[in-house]
Amino acid sequence: MKFLKYIIVVAACLMFNTSCDNGFDELNVNPTAANEIDPKFQFSWTQLRTSGGRYENWRANLIYSSMMMQHFASTCGYWSGDKYSYNGGYSSSLFDRAYTEQVKDVQDLINTLETKEGADQAMLGMAKIWRVVIFQRLTDLYGDIPYFQAGKGFLEGIDFPEYDAQETIYADMLEELEEGIALLPNGSGFGGADLVYAGDADKWKRFAYSMMLRLAMRLSEADAGTAQAWTAKAVAGGVMQSNDDIAFIQHTNGPEGINMNGIGEVLDKSNGFGDDCPRLSNTLVDWMTGTGDPRLDIFGVTPVNGGAHNGLPNGLDDTSIQDNPTGTSTDDFSSFNPTIVQVSSPMFFQTYAETQLLVAEAIKRGWADGSAEEHYNNGVRAAMQQWSIYDASLAVDDATVDAYLAANPYADSFEQIGWQYWAATFLNEYETYANWRRTGYPSLTPTNYPGNATGGQIPSRMVYPESEIGLNPNLDAALARQGMSTDFSNEMIVPVWWDK
Amino acid sequence: MRNYLLCLLFLLGTMTALAQQRVSGTVTDSDGVPLIGVTVIETGTNNGTVTDLDGNFSLNVSDGGTVTLSYVGYESQTMVADGSAMNVSLASGVALDEVVVTALGIERDKKAIAYSATEVDGDNFSKARAMNVIQSLSGKVAGVNVASTATGAGGSTRVTIRGNSSISGNNQPLYVVDGVPIDNTNLGSAGMWGGQDWGDGISSLNPDDIESYTILKGNAAAALYGFRASNGVILITTKSGKNRQGIGVEFNTQIRSENIINHLDFQDEYGHGRRGVAPTTQEEALANGLYAWGAPLDGSSVIQFDGESRPYSSVGDNLGRFYRTGTTFSNNLALTGGNEKYNFRFSGAALNNEDVVPNSGLDRYTFTTKTNAQFNDKLSANIGVTYINEGVQNRPRLSDSPGNANYTAWSLPASIDIDDLKGDPDKLGANDEGFELQFNDNVFVTNPWWGTHQFQANSTKNRMIGNVQLRYEFVDGLYARGRVGLDRYNARRTNLTPYGTAFSAFGGMDEQGTEFQELNNELILGYDKDLTDAIGLNIFVGGNQLRNKRETIGGNGNNFSVPFLHTLNNAANRSTIFNFSEFQNNSIFGSAEIAFNRAIYLTATARNDWFSTLTNADNTSDNDNFYYSVGASAVLSDVLNLPSQIDFAKLRVSYGEVGGVGAAEQPYLLGLNYGIFGQGHEGNPLGGVNNGSVPPIGLTPLTSQEFEVGLDFRLFQNRLGADFAFYNRQTNNDILNAAVSPTSGYGSKVVNIGKMQNVGIELLLYGSPVKTSDFRWDVSFNFAQNNNKVVSLLTDEDDDENIRVEESRTRNAYIEHIEGLPYSQIMGFSYERDEGGNIVFDGDGLPTRGELMPLGTGVHPTSIGINNTLTFKDLSLSFLIDSKSGGYIYAATNAYGYFRGLHRNTLDGRDAGIGDVSAENIEDYYQSIAFNISEEFVEKADFVKLRELVLSYRLKKSLIPKLPFESINIGLAGRNLWLISSSVDNIDPESTYTVGNGQGLEMFGVPQTRSIQLNLGVKF
Repeated sequence: MKFLKYIIVVAACLMFNTSCDNGFDELNVNPTAANEIDPKFQFSWTQLRTSGGRYENWRANLIYSSMMMQHFASTCGYWSGDKYSYNGGYSSSLFDRAYTEQVKDVQDLINTLETKEGADQAMLGMAKIWRVVIFQRLTDLYGDIPYFQAGKGFLEGIDFPEYDAQETIYADMLEELEEGIALLPNGSGFGGADLVYAGDADKWKRFAYSMMLRLAMRLSEADAGTAQAWTAKAVAGGVMQSNDDIAFIQHTNGPEGINMNGIGEVLDKSNGFGDDCPRLSNTLVDWMTGTGDPRLDIFGVTPVNGGAHNGLPNGLDDTSIQDNPTGTSTDDFSSFNPTIVQVSSPMFFQTYAETQLLVAEAIKRGWADGSAEEHYNNGVRAAMQQWSIYDASLAVDDATVDAYLAANPYADSFEQIGWQYWAATFLNEYETYANWRRTGYPSLTPTNYPGNATGGQIPSRMVYPESEIGLNPNLDAALARQGMSTDFSNEMIVPVWWDK
Repeated sequence: MRNYLLCLLFLLGTMTALAQQRVSGTVTDSDGVPLIGVTVIETGTNNGTVTDLDGNFSLNVSDGGTVTLSYVGYESQTMVADGSAMNVSLASGVALDEVVVTALGIERDKKAIAYSATEVDGDNFSKARAMNVIQSLSGKVAGVNVASTATGAGGSTRVTIRGNSSISGNNQPLYVVDGVPIDNTNLGSAGMWGGQDWGDGISSLNPDDIESYTILKGNAAAALYGFRASNGVILITTKSGKNRQGIGVEFNTQIRSENIINHLDFQDEYGHGRRGVAPTTQEEALANGLYAWGAPLDGSSVIQFDGESRPYSSVGDNLGRFYRTGTTFSNNLALTGGNEKYNFRFSGAALNNEDVVPNSGLDRYTFTTKTNAQFNDKLSANIGVTYINEGVQNRPRLSDSPGNANYTAWSLPASIDIDDLKGDPDKLGANDEGFELQFNDNVFVTNPWWGTHQFQANSTKNRMIGNVQLRYEFVDGLYARGRVGLDRYNARRTNLTPYGTAFSAFGGMDEQGTEFQELNNELILGYDKDLTDAIGLNIFVGGNQLRNKRETIGGNGNNFSVPFLHTLNNAANRSTIFNFSEFQNNSIFGSAEIAFNRAIYLTATARNDWFSTLTNADNTSDNDNFYYSVGASAVLSDVLNLPSQIDFAKLRVSYGEVGGVGAAEQPYLLGLNYGIFGQGHEGNPLGGVNNGSVPPIGLTPLTSQEFEVGLDFRLFQNRLGADFAFYNRQTNNDILNAAVSPTSGYGSKVVNIGKMQNVGIELLLYGSPVKTSDFRWDVSFNFAQNNNKVVSLLTDEDDDENIRVEESRTRNAYIEHIEGLPYSQIMGFSYERDEGGNIVFDGDGLPTRGELMPLGTGVHPTSIGINNTLTFKDLSLSFLIDSKSGGYIYAATNAYGYFRGLHRNTLDGRDAGIGDVSAENIEDYYQSIAFNISEEFVEKADFVKLRELVLSYRLKKSLIPKLPFESINIGLAGRNLWLISSSVDNIDPESTYTVGNGQGLEMFGVPQTRSIQLNLGVKF
């Protein structure tokens, strides 16, 4: 029978050229994968991947940002951010991962929701807002980046996207937020598949306006007019109202790496692994001790060798620590508190506390109405109390906060707001680093380790993957625009556009 | 017709006979099988006869006359009729009307062939056996490169014909057994991070079943295989039944013994320790367990890893104590029978091997039947089925250290006895608690006995290869032939890291089963006839449908809950594996050959292939390709007046354009699809884009264009012959995974862009310098030179682009393909040198590293094989010398030898230091070279080997008339007996650990072996 059919096929082939590939289109469809995906699955996936894996959390967030920001310090040679040395792979780690793991799927999801008839437009709004979360982090860390053409290798056949100027990217992101907010009422959203707000459109709206405020304030030095206009729009629209509005993902203890908190995967020793290099920086410990900050015991544990909290100075190595007057062994210093770096810890993207501190700064600048002090106090209180989301044992009661605020009252200073923002964004080191570069507060004393890559100043950016050199022909224009060379080891000193 | 004529002549001859004597005798082939219908003619007369069914003849000839015996396919012999019995065996050999099996199993006149097609007798492969049948091809055919690997029993072999033609795709030939393409997929190779060789497809064939091999080297020869033709084709014809009286029984048995060839010559003057000092505590001994930077060996008592003190002296041959003598028993029983209409052959074979690596081995059982039937003068049928059952125990781990016993066995300091690492005699490699007995503080360097006896890497494979062929002859010359061919197997594997392993305390395992099937349906309509005396025609058209499916189901798990209970059900964390792929290829093809005066032949073939793999979802993509070849052959000795010394001369020229597999066999590349990842997050499924590479648009399989010219001649009554070929092959549109900017969302894109060129010559010279009735000496010499060049990679221009395909575990040597250079360049860091060429030292007196640069190709461009056969009556001795040259190897074993103070070169400076480096710190000097300056360890891999030596004796029926045997063959054979020349220290020059495209990296493989084999073959 089969043979007969075969004879017919061959005969048909000879007569009609085209029937020789009969059924091939169906055969070449992968039966183990889907040709379409439920947007909910893809949104959950994208959110989880934006929280990130061990790879970039270890390198860009902890090894570089947390060390440069002097939340932590380390004597380990490979914790490059402590000493401003250049490690190409660490520096580019977020860039390396974000485009293939976050941007690709968010672009695909938005494309689906934009082109598919009858697609839920609230979903599209949320996806657009989420895309801003992804790209703001990237452009803040790397300056001019592929934005408009990014992640479209399949959608538009763009193998080598152009790098867009940060100014253009910010302008578009602000508009995207506005568009996203406008779409929120036009559908039912992702529901429970939304790992951040479980589909709560009101919270999404407040989050989007809070993001708008963050973006707007980021432009305070580079383009004050734009910053002021969008700040007003954001505050009027309504930003986060309490710690219930914090944008975060709750991670779990597996079953797989993707489910875990990327910082926890680095530092959680109960997971069978655990990088023991970081210690609390003396910048953090000294400031907190000086102000009686109740967060010190939330962030750290007292030294193994006993005694009160003791911060490790940045810029020491295994040899120079021997001559350090405050301790000659890493066991003489406070380490991180294991409770906040578990694989099952939440990951914060934006908090009510930082939003309130930005509002306080906006009022102080005259860009918004109200009492700067009230918003400052709200921000400090929220920042101290938000850790109960990590673990109930970390709750800080109102009386403790009141006492702190009484001892350290609002002093109407940008520097004071800067210190609090710096403390409020602990572990979200990307944000700490961005706000510090914008405001210059708190004023951190740089180290000057022999052979560092910045001439003894805190780096102003992370640089692109070296693999882009010679591969993406559009890189050169971006480098020229920003005054950078291809010798990336010397370019961490070049500020991004909004960093004036 | 011819025979009747001879009979008539014979009658005439007898009528006129005068002063004659009667001679009689028996004619057999070289195996003692009677030859029926051999022409026996009194030389220079018309007086003759033919042999009967038993090969007997008798003939009246004049006194002192000579008799010539001739038979198609055999060399003629002339003998003086002296009255004694003429018992003659005819050697198979060249004859003018020889036929050769060509593409699709079509038999053609050898002289009509316009391309190089080399036949090799299957006997050549069974006399001096290699574990993997195809390894026996090494050195025998010009232009066929067989790369032996260091992967143990059941490992794979890399065969390339006329060089590598694809940059990153498959470069191995297509294997076709009795018309059925068979799968030769490598089921897994070791890489930089270790792993095992899980075997390939060709290795499981039984050499005793193989009648002959035909190697179609070039594009024109293989053109009818279309998209699978670009790497050449090896056609394998299995043995058939014979027209004979009764049932023929043939029994062959071999016992083979093999031992490792130990090239290791590490230093034995300094023992374990660091900084010139022997350890004094157990902790120190553990930390120093892998370093031979200790004190001079003086016989004093020094502590070792287990806290025991032992004499600080050289323990001698650790490898000899670790590896064992491998033994292989092969038994093969074949039954044949039949008459003019029907015949059959059945054979059963068992091969039982214990490998040189302890606790490793292979068992293979093969059953084959083949039946031919001529139902009437129009309809005939062939049916063949082969079943293979193969089990491999403990495929050795290679390359990186975890679980790799070879790694540790090779790199122990001279003062540590490998037997002291055995631990528990009932559980080798274990300590008292049953956990791995660690002899050093690096958990990733596994105790060798734990590696061989507690790790498991077992596989089984059940395979069936079958074909059914029907042929119908409509009228004289016009025929139809239909064929169905099936290759099907399931392969199971278990890979265990046991509980209690130092680097994985709770262990883990994976279990996998793969089902594979390829079905080919082929139909041909042909016409083969001499139209006139001068013009012959051979044409056919046909079609083929190929359907290929592969499915893998498995599970893996880690952290065994119950100690030492090694089952997936006991793993705390488990996950599943499921992979599936299926594709189809439809083809139509045709061939036409015109012969003029049986001296000039013109041939053309065409084939069009349609690919499911290149068909997109809306069926708008270009999914077919056209392939063709043209050729001409002229028998100069027939058309020109050549000197009488030239018996035969043929000039051939051909051109072929064919395809290569690559994307043609990779389904689902074209569309974007989505995967479901992990196990969800808090009840929410996770899904996203599956593709890491941009789905390509408009992909076509690579095309290969080759021009070939050849000359074939025989001189001095066929005493000397030569076959010469020149080819120029260019590969275009090679499919590469080109890097794109990750900002596109993807890491790479599959593109049709690469170009590569192979230009080469092949020469075969053969002759019989001495040829008497009792003694002859046959010699054949083959030479091949292939010059390969990577023309362009990611862009069309030659702009020094490169593609990195492999990396050594030492992380400072790579295999890259680089524009303008031959394939598979070993990239390594050189020494930094000043203008005078002197090595530059840094402030501490250590050599400094220079540029990353190409240090030579890992593929030999030149190969030479010389085979001599000396035959004295029924005794024959043959030996094959195999040589390859021009390639390089990066010996990571030597890099580790430098790092650990094992290499003999590291003795220099231990007393007095080198330059600014003191004797105490001499390890800093060598360690600054070890994993830093790769140039030091890249060496020429040229070699000359005595590959085979075969001594055989045939006991003829006439000598054993009372026994029931037709003949008895006794043979003694050796393989790899002598490494005549090599310039690599400590390792065999043939020691790569992968059959993949990254050739030229070595690291702690299974040593090459030397084997001796005793054969006994009897026929009843």
